[in-house]
Amino acid sequence: MKKLVTPGEVLSDKPLRIDNSLVEEGKTISTIMGMYDDQTSSLIPIEGLWYPRPGEKVIGVIEEARLNTCNVALNAPYKGIIILKFSEVNMVNNDIIEATVKELDKTGTIVLSRPKVLYGGKIMAVKPSKVPRILGKENTMITQVSQSTKASISVGMNGLVWVKGGDVDLATKAINQIVEEAHVSGLTDRIAAMLKSKQQ
Amino acid sequence: MEKLELLINGKRLDGRAMDELRKISITASPIRNATGSAYIEWGNNKILAAVYGPREALPRHTADPDRAVVKCRYTMAPFSSLEEHGRPGMNRRAIEISKVTKEVFENVILLDLFPGTSIDIFVEVLQSDGGTRAAGITCASVALAASGIPMRDMPYAVSAGKVGETVILDLNKIEDNYSDADMPMAINPRNKEVTLLQMDGELTKDHFKQAVEMILKSGEAITKLQKEALRLPYEKAQERYNR
Repeated sequence: MKKLVTPGEVLSDKPLRIDNSLVEEGKTISTIMGMYDDQTSSLIPIEGLWYPRPGEKVIGVIEEARLNTCNVALNAPYKGIIILKFSEVNMVNNDIIEATVKELDKTGTIVLSRPKVLYGGKIMAVKPSKVPRILGKENTMITQVSQSTKASISVGMNGLVWVKGGDVDLATKAINQIVEEAHVSGLTDRIAAMLKSKQQ
Repeated sequence: MEKLELLINGKRLDGRAMDELRKISITASPIRNATGSAYIEWGNNKILAAVYGPREALPRHTADPDRAVVKCRYTMAPFSSLEEHGRPGMNRRAIEISKVTKEVFENVILLDLFPGTSIDIFVEVLQSDGGTRAAGITCASVALAASGIPMRDMPYAVSAGKVGETVILDLNKIEDNYSDADMPMAINPRNKEVTLLQMDGELTKDHFKQAVEMILKSGEAITKLQKEALRLPYEKAQERYNR
């Protein structure tokens, strides 16, 4: 059975290895707010922070473009940086970019690689813990939204979403609904129904 | 100072029993810009708490390369109490309360996950009626849970005190000023760790034990309220489709 747990709640009397939990005195304890499924013993955060992992796609805004490096605002605990030696993209301040996390280096900066400038469009911030739900299983959810609104959407794991073209308002509304109801089952059907009713 | 009679016919001035809390209501996430926030109404206390971060620790020399640092700012609004509060911002008392609040949360947040950053906790007292540091800690712990910052536990805080030979729980402003002792205490509910213990006045050993018992007993109710406040927005979204 799934249940909503808060920080400090005992998940199990046995020591288990679960994400976002810790073991104290032989008991497994939740450290965040999340949905705990005791059959699969998985704890999915409903409130959480983004922690950079190599290979993740992020959306950011260029804060300061210099000759060799660019500082990127990522809406995260650490600053992002692009080393221009490895890329041939021209970037100026306030450009919205899509990039991949290369590493989190020792000084506490997120090194990004493979930048791509996203021209125009609109950027919105969502809770990073809801990003997997926005994407859906094998990106089904986001494909559904972008196909029916004809908008091009790019979702960063850091919780920034870029939307351009098509019905931007409807796409934004759909994403906001996903964020709000991420923990309620049957979400894909509801979003499909919502998109269909708005289109007519 | 003239002694005030605080207990009349076995009841307190506001009609509460000796071990009765004031009415508490907590709202989670009222502030959109913050990472996490909470609002508490504890009797006549009205307190807003907001958490920002983990973010870059500024000024840079405050950062710790091994763990996150917690910064706390407790302030009373100039209009918060009947007495004059003068200039807004930090005075001696606010600096002290900021420090003890910081130390409560340093012990529960998993700081080593975010090295080099700072977690900023703001506690703003809008209206005060005694026991604001306890209410502030209770509120800030809900704000931290709502922000998704990993914590070992959700602490709560209450004060207990003594009038004559009677131990009372959750002192209000008048009781705080004229009682013989006042002891705020912050506790991690899961393993009953004490993270804050201060005392004004004097308590005997027996009275101290009695006060701690009262606090631990009332803590169950407070923890329940904190959890309900956090669950409410999610249960509301769920209810919309379960009807």
